[in-house]
Amino acid sequence: MTWQVAFQLALSGASVGSIYAMVALALVIPYKASGVLNFAQGEIVTLGAYTGLVLSLATSLPFVALIPITLIVAALFGIAIERLLIRPILAAPEFTLVIATFAIGLIIRAAIRLYWQDNTFPLEAPFVGPPLSLGPLRLNPAYLVVIATLLVLVGALIVFFRYSKFGKAMRAVALNVTAARLMGIDINSVFASSWALATAIGALTGLLLAPIIGVNPEIGHLILKALVAAVIGGFTSVGGAVVGGLLLGILETFGGAFFGATFKNVIPFGILILLLLVKPHGLFGRAVQQRV
Amino acid sequence: MLGKGFCAATLASALIALAPHTAAAEQGVTADTITIGAFGPITGPAAYIGLAGRDGANLAIKEINAAGGINGRKISLLFEDDGHSPAKALAAVKKLIDQDQVFAIFCVAGSNGTIGSIDYVKEKGRVMYVSFASAPGVTWPFARNLFRGGTTEVARYGEVYAELIVDYLKGQKVAIMSGREEYPKNEGDALTKQLAAWYNITPVKRAEFNIGDKDFTPQLLEVRQAEPQVIAFFGNPAEAAIALRQAKELGLNQPFFVGTNMTDQSLITAARQSAEGAIGVSLLPLLVGSSDPAMKAWEAKWKQEYPNLPAGRPNTFDLLSYGDMYVLAEALKRAGKDLTRDKLIAALESIKDYRISPIATPRTFTTKHHIGNLRLQPLQEKNGQWEPIAWEAKRPSDVLKRYQ
Repeated sequence: MTWQVAFQLALSGASVGSIYAMVALALVIPYKASGVLNFAQGEIVTLGAYTGLVLSLATSLPFVALIPITLIVAALFGIAIERLLIRPILAAPEFTLVIATFAIGLIIRAAIRLYWQDNTFPLEAPFVGPPLSLGPLRLNPAYLVVIATLLVLVGALIVFFRYSKFGKAMRAVALNVTAARLMGIDINSVFASSWALATAIGALTGLLLAPIIGVNPEIGHLILKALVAAVIGGFTSVGGAVVGGLLLGILETFGGAFFGATFKNVIPFGILILLLLVKPHGLFGRAVQQRV
Repeated sequence: MLGKGFCAATLASALIALAPHTAAAEQGVTADTITIGAFGPITGPAAYIGLAGRDGANLAIKEINAAGGINGRKISLLFEDDGHSPAKALAAVKKLIDQDQVFAIFCVAGSNGTIGSIDYVKEKGRVMYVSFASAPGVTWPFARNLFRGGTTEVARYGEVYAELIVDYLKGQKVAIMSGREEYPKNEGDALTKQLAAWYNITPVKRAEFNIGDKDFTPQLLEVRQAEPQVIAFFGNPAEAAIALRQAKELGLNQPFFVGTNMTDQSLITAARQSAEGAIGVSLLPLLVGSSDPAMKAWEAKWKQEYPNLPAGRPNTFDLLSYGDMYVLAEALKRAGKDLTRDKLIAALESIKDYRISPIATPRTFTTKHHIGNLRLQPLQEKNGQWEPIAWEAKRPSDVLKRYQ
């Protein structure tokens, strides 16, 4: 394998990994805040792609202008799910909540199929085009945009959680809900905001994927890989989700190149099992001790 | 005399009264309706064939019924989704035959679904008109009740692909990338077999992938290592689009040959500039987007019926099923008012060079073979359009020999 091929593989792997990382982030954020694992997150990705498609068909807005509108729509949708469907059953057993989010996902996908069927719709974006040449390298601009988006997103999240009052409130709720409530933090607002943030990130992922692979009801079929990424990272760690996603994408791509396509899909789950044997709480997770 | 006249009148009345009952005795046929069952994938990664197959057939049926139907009866189409799975296709066919009691089956499933249904359809003796599936089992071994319309037999694909690659593209070192499901696997196998039989060439690499894959880097690296002169790709347009783009990123600039299901606008829509220069083979005399007046008129009709469908539609499969539904309708008409399965089979076997308009390839069936179309047109993608190339297959086909 030449260094050029190795670089192409690393770029491709980091791009795929960035997508996994974004969906993993969208899983981890509401989980930290509300303790609910949202199995509909894959369909939120799909919804983001279709929102972009609808806006592009209904208006003549350029792709860049579609992004903020789609994110706002997705955030409102996240708040609606949290307020109307999740909050009323928050006291139910965890398994019930998981099944409820599964059901939400199935409903979203079925609703999309009702109107759009399984046709694949193209969505034009300025970053999809011929590869850029850099010496002997050929760089796919879409890969670069996906990786850059992840980096910007992580930067924005760091600033939000560290320096904004609301971000600090979300961190406090993640640490201890009761203590946060006693400190006067509006827990319900934090729950709703975490869902809004997560659905916006999911929708952004859909918007990035749509011009690359086309818009269809299966575009968000990423939930298992994102879960693996989140678990590798420790599940409750935002940084861990990003590292887990990137690691998974790169290992998957190189694994496929070295061991063939058949093993490519085995690799993520193999890594997960090995990692859990060595570090049961993931790379960045910690065991929580509770006095009873 | 009066008694004889009375008896004759009574007999005539009885015959008239019985006539609809005779027709109604055939499952799926009533006095005013012929119920046809159809199946194909309308969900999942192969939905582009089933949705198009259903929509093309429905457009034809709408026109046929508006023009008075078939010998006074309207066609009614019942459609089942098979999700591109042989098992689901079998379930769909069982439902259509046993529960819905259809008269005949119109199959737009592609090879994967079709192979799941063949044995049951043979067992039940129901006529199945397969609009598109190249799987050998449809027409060989010969079954009287199975017909293949728009697509040709996979062995013929192998012949034309091999000759085109060796004679026109001058490829002696050929790499094949193919999906693992029925159709792409069969086409890859047919090309391999024919390269060996006619040119004593063994592909330098055969790399496989799964339907719906989004990354072909591992397969392309294997292909790159084998240093082929031509890369033949058999899969779906969405897969080919990604593979074409990634091939260029990995420095693979060899001619890219694609199968018939990708030789239409859907590949160009998905692959954009990466499709430039791709070579393919079409089952149709005209592609969507052609400036031919017949195609323009058909496209206008289609878009009026389905105004909200995406770029890339109508595609090859809309055209194939539209043309094939007209072939089936023509046979139903020829079978006469007193419709039976045997009469439909005989009528289909009388179809010779029939097509509804220049947008369709003429179909011919005989009592010896039920392969409706053997025509394949080589094309190359240039500046966002498929253009005919100045080459045609010269070697005589061996495909029909076994039917003699």
